[in-house]
Amino acid sequence: MGSGKWPKPFLLKLWALGCSLKLAIALASAATLLIMGGSLVMHYNPAIFSGMEQEIMGQWLPQAWSRAPLLVFWVPLSGLCILLFALNTLCCLIDWLTMLRVRWRKTGEYLVHAGFVLLTVAYLWGNLSGFRSGPHRLAPGDRMSIPNMPGYLLQLEEFTPQIEPGGRPLDMINKLVLWKNGRQVLQKTIRINHPLIYDGLVILPSSYGQDIQGFRFHMPGTGFVDLAPGSRLPISSDVTLVVHRFLADARQDRQGRVMEIGSRLNNPALQLSLLGPSGTIWQGWYFLRRQLPEGMVKAGIELRPVEPVLTTFSLLTINRDPGDKMALTGGFCITVGVIFAFFSFYRKRRISDRPEI
Amino acid sequence: MSKTLLYLLFTIYLMATSGYLLHIFWRRSFVAKASFVLIVAGVILQTALLGHRWWAAGYLPVTNLFATLFFFSWALALTYLYFELRYRIRATGLFVMLLNLVLLGGALPRDTTVSLLIPALDTPLFSLHIIFSFVGYAFFAMAFSIGVLYLCQAQLSTELLPDLPTLRKINEEAIFLGFGLFTLCMVAGSIWAHIAWGHWFSWNIKSVWSVLVWMFYAGMCHAKFIRRWQGGVYAWLSIAGFGVVLFTYLGIGLLLESNHPLE
Ligand code: HEM
Repeated sequence: MGSGKWPKPFLLKLWALGCSLKLAIALASAATLLIMGGSLVMHYNPAIFSGMEQEIMGQWLPQAWSRAPLLVFWVPLSGLCILLFALNTLCCLIDWLTMLRVRWRKTGEYLVHAGFVLLTVAYLWGNLSGFRSGPHRLAPGDRMSIPNMPGYLLQLEEFTPQIEPGGRPLDMINKLVLWKNGRQVLQKTIRINHPLIYDGLVILPSSYGQDIQGFRFHMPGTGFVDLAPGSRLPISSDVTLVVHRFLADARQDRQGRVMEIGSRLNNPALQLSLLGPSGTIWQGWYFLRRQLPEGMVKAGIELRPVEPVLTTFSLLTINRDPGDKMALTGGFCITVGVIFAFFSFYRKRRISDRPEI
Repeated sequence: MSKTLLYLLFTIYLMATSGYLLHIFWRRSFVAKASFVLIVAGVILQTALLGHRWWAAGYLPVTNLFATLFFFSWALALTYLYFELRYRIRATGLFVMLLNLVLLGGALPRDTTVSLLIPALDTPLFSLHIIFSFVGYAFFAMAFSIGVLYLCQAQLSTELLPDLPTLRKINEEAIFLGFGLFTLCMVAGSIWAHIAWGHWFSWNIKSVWSVLVWMFYAGMCHAKFIRRWQGGVYAWLSIAGFGVVLFTYLGIGLLLESNHPLE
């Protein structure tokens, strides 16, 4: 066989294979069977597979592979089948495009094919270069930089959880501002089913919680005062009470050292100091369940604990999928394609137009 | 929903199915006609009940097993009507309506109260996702029934059933329409997942099996082109496909645990 002759039939054969409907059925069947079996492996091995939902495939697969290759091998294998299947679909699509003038009536079917190719590429793109992260904890006023996206900052301006009378959470309303390189690019109020979407980013509320920040006291003659770390309370013209720390559940050992036991309200304590004109008058811990410390009483302070001061924080999910627009385009192609194909199905049947293999 | 009306509906469908059964042994056309009229009456009543629930709840109530079984049964009855009006399939309807009775029978003992809609489901995308999914499932159920009857007809060659080419034609049509509608369900579901959870596809067992259903029936849209598979193999594939559908709809919820919002 001359060297100038062999490539043509070989390439033609390769192209015929690429357009083969039988190959498509074989690849789709292989992927289907692999994933069917794999889904059961997935279900019975949550330790390995639970991360599959929280991370993108590009992150999860290498880790899972290094831990349990025998349980995970079906994922790349079925991925390969789907990839080849998408390539196969692309060849069919190109083959159709080359004969568009005579086959334009099958636009619906081929929009479905094009949509599938777009979805496969979009999935790969998003799962190789995107990310899934969270929950991120933000209290009103907090700012955070977006992971893996240098220059991006997210600020929570306001947060209002909506709770129905029975106590069931209904919605989580977050007023967010997105900054890019110091410039505000978007301001949006997000809630369930209404995320912030920008440049492949999807930011949505996932949950919320409450933190005990400090305590509310009644001060005879003054009224109610909230004491939390950073508070400064003028006692007289030259004495100020300063709050350094608040612990919701604290314990003091024999040496007088105070340590934090937990974050639930049980034995609250405040670390305080009294500042006078010539420096610190007194400093120490005030355990709210005990008497007011001597130093404070001497300074003429009267405080009666009333209730904890709570701050509500929001938990946000921040994902990025750079392929999301491509996926949406794929979904659109498939939708339009299916609607057209509903009509062409009956037309093809009327004129007995169908490939037989 | 009033249980009395629900039992009335069941009785109507039961009488229609019995009528078709009677028609096999006592071949009088008025028996088949009466059965058909009963099914039309049943569909009208079921549509009214569904419409009333929708109106009363303010959203399409398909958020628990009773509601999905009821909706599935309604979609199946409508699908049957479509094929009956198009092809006059008559006795073929017996099998489909038996399946419908199983669905409705499964719904009867369950709690009919409409639960409060959780915020994540409060979007038209969810309604579209559910409508297309169950109408798609109904066509797959139809294809399953026709597949079984195709295999029966291949053995019996009876005049009671349509001939093999007609059964094959109906089967292919049911698969194609089911695939198209299920595709729309998948598109709506993916967009909804993107706005509700921040990803349009995730590897949880329900989503994975929904993709498997989709791939299976996409494969079947092509399998009909393979000459050797036309007819018998295709009928078996329709039966297997419905097995995949049933596992996705009921099996995952009953046998395995899923975090899909409907479970
Ligand atoms: C997931 C991927 C695919 C989907 C969802 C899909 C979907 C469809 C649908 C809905 C039809 C219309 C069937 C009918 O008229 O009854 C169709 C037809 C067809 N598909 Fe696909 N397909 C896929 C992949 C492929 C691949 C890989 C090939 C080729 C290797 C292919 C080749 C064809 C051909 C030749 C037709 C017939 C068109 C005609 O009527 O001439 N498809 N496809």
